Amino acid sequence: MTTLDAPRPVSALVGAEPRSVPDRLRRLVRPFAGYLFVFPALGVLVVFYYVPALLLFVISFFHYHLGGAGSSFAGLDNFRVLFAQPLFWKSLVVTGYYVLVMVPATLVISLALAMLVRDAARHSKRKRGGLSQALIFLPHVTPLVATSLVWVYILNPQYGVMNYVLRAFVSNPPGWLESTGYSMPSIEIYSLWHSVGFYMVLFLAGLASIPDRLLEAARVEGVRGFAAFRRVVFPLLTPSVYLVTVLATVNTMQAFSQIYTLTGGAHGEAGGPAYSTTTDALLIYQTAFFYNHFSLAATMSLMLFVLLVLLTVVQRWGFSKLVFYR
Amino acid sequence: MSARRRLHRYGLGAVRAIAAAAFSFPLYWMLVTATGPRGAAYRFPPRILPGLDFHSFVTVIDGSNWARYMLNSTFITATTIVLVLFTSALAGWALVALPLGLRGAVFIVLLGTMLLPEQALIIPQYVVNFHLHLLNTYAVMIVPFAATSSSIFLFRQYFATMPAEWRDAARVEGLGNLRYLWRVAFPAAKPVVFTVILLTFIASWNQFQWPLIMTQNPSIAPIELALNQYQSAYEASQRLINAVSLLALLPIVAVFAVAQRHIVGAVGGLDTGVEG
Repeated sequence: MTTLDAPRPVSALVGAEPRSVPDRLRRLVRPFAGYLFVFPALGVLVVFYYVPALLLFVISFFHYHLGGAGSSFAGLDNFRVLFAQPLFWKSLVVTGYYVLVMVPATLVISLALAMLVRDAARHSKRKRGGLSQALIFLPHVTPLVATSLVWVYILNPQYGVMNYVLRAFVSNPPGWLESTGYSMPSIEIYSLWHSVGFYMVLFLAGLASIPDRLLEAARVEGVRGFAAFRRVVFPLLTPSVYLVTVLATVNTMQAFSQIYTLTGGAHGEAGGPAYSTTTDALLIYQTAFFYNHFSLAATMSLMLFVLLVLLTVVQRWGFSKLVFYR
Repeated sequence: MSARRRLHRYGLGAVRAIAAAAFSFPLYWMLVTATGPRGAAYRFPPRILPGLDFHSFVTVIDGSNWARYMLNSTFITATTIVLVLFTSALAGWALVALPLGLRGAVFIVLLGTMLLPEQALIIPQYVVNFHLHLLNTYAVMIVPFAATSSSIFLFRQYFATMPAEWRDAARVEGLGNLRYLWRVAFPAAKPVVFTVILLTFIASWNQFQWPLIMTQNPSIAPIELALNQYQSAYEASQRLINAVSLLALLPIVAVFAVAQRHIVGAVGGLDTGVEG
């Protein structure tokens, strides 16, 4: 097979010559050469994401002190302590309230905005939503603290512009972030402002994937307006509805920065007034960094982890009956 | 065009304009408040037009460390972008073109962090950073974000579509894997490079919760963290807070104005935008 004048590397490759030790090593290592390229990324992700994920399980079952000294196995102690904390259950209720308002509101508002932007673009000569789509999306990429602070000002009960306008209609406008009843709605208003533009874009992508001929066919059949939306557009949009539901749930369950800033985290008042906005994420933060109770904070994080996995599974199961895949 | 159709068209246009105005209002209000005269933020009726008074910006930049915080954020963001491009392009390339034992498993591990909820990890991440002596350093705001699953995935997808003939031709020319990647494949993946830069810029510039927890030293604070501390300071008025907020916001808006279509596509197309 080998010819006399075959170049050396080729003959080495087919094994015509006795192999030296480096050659053998090279053959052994060759299938893993790609690891050199993968290593930097893999290293970062393993050290800063996978190791912490494992550590979460470990710390939850230990009386853990930062640094490890004096830590001991705790069995289920942390869980027992956690479940006996009224504030833990309260935070779940607060988070549930937040999520149960945010997810449906997000679905309705972002879908309505998507229809509006698309229809308006269709009726005008331009092909896309252009400026208004961009302006509705823009809040999503703005920094949370900077924009939360202007909302704190807008919602200020005394000199905010919101109540200035409301006073023209009602004699006693709400105290917004300073009242227990309206603090969570205030956060919901901010969060919707910050996020619906993003979900609108997801819906726009879903809408764009509906073939025009289907809508045309519906029109020919005399199905128009809301009936066309309900019977043609919406069924074809269920994959987007599923996606938005899952993402909105996961994102609201984990909201932190806007709640912290809006409720006065810099003054040490995050989650207030009277714990009315203490969500799971805030309670984890406070437990670890105000009360220095790392094990309890880790146990709560583990519960959040489990809860998110469960919710995702339930949503997948629920939507498997509803989602219409073409 | 019938009257009904015209009504439909202009009606929709009007509703859309109102929606866009409502969503822009808070950002507009920042500008109005920051550029108004002293004390105007607490007076009724409120001013509704931006003023021409830029003293608030001079006050905060001269009087405090805002130039420093802007610089901190710029340094953190720029370094993170460079590192993300480097690690993600290498990994994406390896997944497509290099011999890689257990390729499927490596692929899953590299992309799997998308499924990990970030709020649930922050406590053990603090512990890891503690043991690595990263708390209170610039590095803690850079290194953990120096590789992201989404960027690796984007590079992998793009490299997979590049013709294999290019590589064969390059090999004949004697171009090694690494040189081929940086001289040919990486420049050819310009749309992905652009997307990764934009996504990393937004995430890094806006980071707040992470530095809040992982750092204490005010001199390394990025702008969002400094803003949080500033609002509770005694000298802060609404006018000054909004001036500083605008400083934090401006780079984002500027980039958005230039690359609006690309950002909407990049953020919307990824489905991984977990908010901090």
